[in-house]
Amino acid sequence: MASSQHVLLSPAELAYLHASLSLIPPIRPDGRSPTQFRPLVAETGILPGTNGSARICFADGTEAIVGVKAEVERTALRPGEDTIYLEEGGLEGGDDGEEGSSEDKRKGDASWVEMTVEIPGLRDDDSGTAFLSAMLSEALLADGEFARRLWINRRFHWKLYLDIILISPPLSYPLPLLSLTTHLALLSTRLPRLKSEGDEDPFFDDDWAAAPYLFPRSSETSAHTTTSTTSTSTRPPITLLVMAVANNIIFDPSKEELAVADAALAVSVTSTSSHTTTADADPIRQAQAQEQEEKEGRNLRLLSIRTIDPPSRLTPPGVANAANAAYGASLGASGQQPQQQQQKSTAVVPVMASETEAVEGVWRPPRGGAKRAVLGALVQKVLEGGGVVDEVLDALEGVDLG
Amino acid sequence: MPITILPPKPARPLNTSHGAHPEDGSSLSSDESDSGGGGVGLDDGDISMNLPPTTTTTKNPAHSSHAHSLVTPGESITSDPQWMRGHGTYIATDTTAITSSVAGTITRTNKLLSVRPLRARYTPEVGDLVVGRIVEVQAKRWRVDVGSTQLAALPLSAINLPGGILRKRTETDELQIRTFFAEGDLVVAEVQQLFGDGGAVLHTRSLRYGKLRNGVFVAVSGVGGGGGVVRSRRQVWTMDVAQGAGQVDVILGVNGYVWISKHVETPAELEAGGATGAGAGAGAGVGITNMEEIVSATMYSSQNDPIEVETMREIARLRGVVMALVENGLRVDEDMVVKGYHEAVEMALASADGPEDVYLGDERGQQLAAALTGL
Amino acid sequence: MPLDTSTYNLALLRVDGRRWNELRRVHAQIRTQAAADGSSYLEMGHTKVMCVVTGPTEPGPRRGGAAAGGAGGGGVGSGGAGGKAEIVVGIVIAGFSSVDRKRYGRGDKRTLELASTVSNALAASLHTNLFPHSQINISLHVLSQDGSLLAALINAATLACVDAGIPMTDYVAACTAGSTSTYAANDEGADPLLDLNHQEEQELPGLTVATLGNSDRVAVLVCESRVQISRLEGMLAVGVDGCKQMREILDRVVREKGVRMIQEGTVEKGVGLGDIDMD
Repeated sequence: MASSQHVLLSPAELAYLHASLSLIPPIRPDGRSPTQFRPLVAETGILPGTNGSARICFADGTEAIVGVKAEVERTALRPGEDTIYLEEGGLEGGDDGEEGSSEDKRKGDASWVEMTVEIPGLRDDDSGTAFLSAMLSEALLADGEFARRLWINRRFHWKLYLDIILISPPLSYPLPLLSLTTHLALLSTRLPRLKSEGDEDPFFDDDWAAAPYLFPRSSETSAHTTTSTTSTSTRPPITLLVMAVANNIIFDPSKEELAVADAALAVSVTSTSSHTTTADADPIRQAQAQEQEEKEGRNLRLLSIRTIDPPSRLTPPGVANAANAAYGASLGASGQQPQQQQQKSTAVVPVMASETEAVEGVWRPPRGGAKRAVLGALVQKVLEGGGVVDEVLDALEGVDLG
Repeated sequence: MPITILPPKPARPLNTSHGAHPEDGSSLSSDESDSGGGGVGLDDGDISMNLPPTTTTTKNPAHSSHAHSLVTPGESITSDPQWMRGHGTYIATDTTAITSSVAGTITRTNKLLSVRPLRARYTPEVGDLVVGRIVEVQAKRWRVDVGSTQLAALPLSAINLPGGILRKRTETDELQIRTFFAEGDLVVAEVQQLFGDGGAVLHTRSLRYGKLRNGVFVAVSGVGGGGGVVRSRRQVWTMDVAQGAGQVDVILGVNGYVWISKHVETPAELEAGGATGAGAGAGAGVGITNMEEIVSATMYSSQNDPIEVETMREIARLRGVVMALVENGLRVDEDMVVKGYHEAVEMALASADGPEDVYLGDERGQQLAAALTGL
Repeated sequence: MPLDTSTYNLALLRVDGRRWNELRRVHAQIRTQAAADGSSYLEMGHTKVMCVVTGPTEPGPRRGGAAAGGAGGGGVGSGGAGGKAEIVVGIVIAGFSSVDRKRYGRGDKRTLELASTVSNALAASLHTNLFPHSQINISLHVLSQDGSLLAALINAATLACVDAGIPMTDYVAACTAGSTSTYAANDEGADPLLDLNHQEEQELPGLTVATLGNSDRVAVLVCESRVQISRLEGMLAVGVDGCKQMREILDRVVREKGVRMIQEGTVEKGVGLGDIDMD
């Protein structure tokens, strides 16, 4: 999936970037550590007319706004038809059955969530936009947990509209920004408190202050301390962009860094409250793994992985001095073969070597797929207990949801 | 901490700045008395009426006599016919008044009045040293992005062809134009002339100009609060860097494109220093005696020389300094960059992460800026 | 729910408590976004709009297609050949901006018309002839709608263009004007109203007017409702007056930012207006 816009960088720049990112430890152009994210400014609840909203600006000037709106919708009854993300065990309420509507019988449907992504300058049917939207919604719906939260009763559910807007021109690959903003917006989303009971037509509490959060606060008392390891409740998923250069794993790459990536992955993770064993056999996703990494107070759960085609493959290769017609000796006005002269003057590297072999200091776009071990290490690094994801989730939780 | 999440800056302190800016009722009140039956107005004065007078213009007390040296679009500057209008102004129809067309400050060159906008794209001027990126290759010229409103042109006739400066351009050169510069390549060049429509023509006919390698690129135009590269005495310099990392070249293109690279000794230096240049590399160490030839040899190379880890780290630190200057709305010139760099080295030495930490984002950048403005 | 005009007649106050000639609370900022050439955020009451300007810039061989094809907006000027910058306006109306969630596609006729109006309005003021072969991309985002949308869009775009340093004759400031009773009422004594909110816009006749700075030169006049010709003059007069107030508000926002930048040393100080006549 060619999901990243073309970046125009010179071969010399690419070679330099690749060399500095391949060092151990890597030197990133902006001096960040490999796991460090770009600093960002975040706020929530910016739009009173929505159920939840958030805005994030990266220091480089990219900015996104997400608004969540919920509407009550009548659940279509489909006799005998199983929904894809249905948790096993419940009777599918095809007919107006009599079983008690306990919490266990809640079920969700992927169609209850509608997501749109707007990127300025791109059409809404642009493949890049569609890919982003698919990736973000797939993470959200992957385990069926999320849609189940929208269940009101057997006849009604919330229909949740997530509108994701990139305000700035897409300077860097916008996936992490959009994902983090969506996460924050969902964290701040509140649905009116249900006052009706059972399967009657729902009516709700007018008091917005009493409206519960879609994702209940873990510890209301110490909600703003980011270090609380007691936060065990489920959180919306986040999708992180992770890339590998040589053997280095680098989080949140900037546009330039992504341009020299050997491999790039979009990894969606969530933190869950309870251990759920689901034998998920979802055919839609390209790759999927279920891993559980036990950490004090937080279970990280892998939801989906997608490979991002790094723009590095489309970059022009550098020309080694030895093969450079404009390099070295005088290019005679009579149009002599330049290579002969170069051999005279430089005679350092065999002339044809650069076509196939790596010459130090010359950019060569990566060819072929990423190594399995590298991909495995990428995923492992993301799911590391107490690692990056934990701190990102904690930090996001620390954002004032006023 | 892998991630820093900052709260949004408090909504612009429109009303709360009274301490710093005493009320200046005279500034706009005359314009306020518009028609419409009085009741018109903003409720609760959310946007304060008082304009802060330039209390900080202590250098020239004459300035503070007038409320501000700032003009905005549509504001009349003078109707005195002795003045000529320059950039950023126009003469309104049916009048002789020179009127500002941008928001900015007035500059005066003899009898020419122009308004320098608070922020705008780069406007080329003859003699400017610029860093540009080739975006298009045409038959006899390159089109170069220099961050201006138009692409600049670099004609094939305005470059030094390999093999000596005085060689004639041939058809072969036209056919292999891409071997000199291809799309994406960065060049340092000089503005040679301007077209009537504002388009610039560049040239690289100097040993100092040509293709850039061995370093990193930063664009500071269009970023930050309007700071950026200013035209100054020196746009290019070589500086010693910490950690025994040798020397680093900094090129501040007037257009706001910046190139920071490892200093590669020129042949002249090489000869003087007796070929001691560590890592002068394969490109230069071939023993050609003709200086022009060897310079033009590296002029179109896109192969980097070997660069030490320490040098890369210091280059990253310098890049961080430039970004920090921009993000905090400070000028980017030799003075500031060198000062900022030394400050950053000091900060790194004092910090817990040790001198190898070159990160200068958010807080550290602000710290750096504070230290610099305090100087 | 019909607007209760009787309330107005008794207290001479509108449903939101304003008098007939009162603007809503206007809050604006410029330079909201570091990466863009120019940017702004504008609130008129509960109508909230963001604007990002890119350019003027010459569309390169690669970028050209994406920018022109996707913007989905009106373009004014003849691009490269005519020696003028082209103003390309793209408007994204967020699905969550209205009370009921609604998806606004790119091809939405109304959105396209808004874009073309904004583009025309700015073309009246921007000195596009200074930037041949160039394009000015104006990307507008509607975050919340409560009436006077077109006016808010024009004001936000003007601010962003000032921020981008694009020369212009003067600010293009816009606002709406309405009339206190419906067309059907045929009320001769209807008062004009300034700055309609959504509810008023639904019930009452109204128009959007934009003027060039402090002059009475009207750059935009859009009226999409039926109204007696006799009332039009009063409405227009009130609207033009509102535009002048709006210009002062926009100007103040720009000055605040500019003075702050001068104080912070970002921008070099210039010559004071008063100094011009010295030496």
